[in-house]
Amino acid sequence: MLWKDNYKLGVPLIDAQHQELFRRVQSFLQVLRSKDSWDEKIPMINETLEFMKRYVVEHFQAEEDYQRSINYPGYEAHKQIHDDMVNYVQEVSKKYEQSQNDEQLMQQFGGRLLAWLINHVCAEDQRIADYAKEKGMSGNEG
Amino acid sequence: MKDKLYRTFVDATRNVFNLMLNISDISDHPAENLKCDDGIDIAVGIVGDLQGEVVYRFPVSTSLNMVNIMSGMQFEEVDAFVTSAISEIANIISGNVLTALSDNNMKCDILPPVQGNPDDNKEYEMKTSCCLSTSIGEIGLEIRLNLVS
Repeated sequence: MLWKDNYKLGVPLIDAQHQELFRRVQSFLQVLRSKDSWDEKIPMINETLEFMKRYVVEHFQAEEDYQRSINYPGYEAHKQIHDDMVNYVQEVSKKYEQSQNDEQLMQQFGGRLLAWLINHVCAEDQRIADYAKEKGMSGNEG
Repeated sequence: MKDKLYRTFVDATRNVFNLMLNISDISDHPAENLKCDDGIDIAVGIVGDLQGEVVYRFPVSTSLNMVNIMSGMQFEEVDAFVTSAISEIANIISGNVLTALSDNNMKCDILPPVQGNPDDNKEYEMKTSCCLSTSIGEIGLEIRLNLVS
């Protein structure tokens, strides 16, 4: 399992979003790392890549909406990190298309995405959760 | 200054391993140079008030253990996926070091990580190496930096 309980930040709304995001990324990684030949995997890779790309953007937007709703002071900096990742995903996707489905490129993307995502949740998103809890807006108060 | 940098890099590595891999038992000791025949070297260039690079050496077994923990999957050889994941971790550790340095009014930036050890025989004012021991294997760090006045 990609998702681990120690990634929980203690804000139910963010935790639910993260678990869904991790499920999408896990589906992508499972296809990427399956034992089938690359040619056999390409249709499934392309499909899960598109699906995951859309979901990453949706997730970032939902997280940013939440940050605005609690007046999170680090919103601009956090949004910049999201924007940089979205740009990277789009850039890789474009190169992948131009390369006519280069496997190495997609394996590199998968590795970076994995490490980036875990650090982002454990380090950057933790700050949002800490702020929400400090302000009594984590959804755990009731 | 050299000792402070050494400590900053070690602390950043310790924090990242703790946060991302849930590994907290890490010890460090100075090493004359990085000794490991089958390691992956990842170099991260540093520019700004400090100029140079830091080279992270991840032995194969350490690299595979790291990626296995993160992914919950079983990786048995180092390939483009593993190298990329390890490079991103080197990037994250270096980014954390820069944040710590900026708290001490040192403005630096990092360059994208590259695989390899670009030992160019240059002279560095601050050159130090260390080895970190963890429950999933060792990691080598070689810091080579000049202070830009």
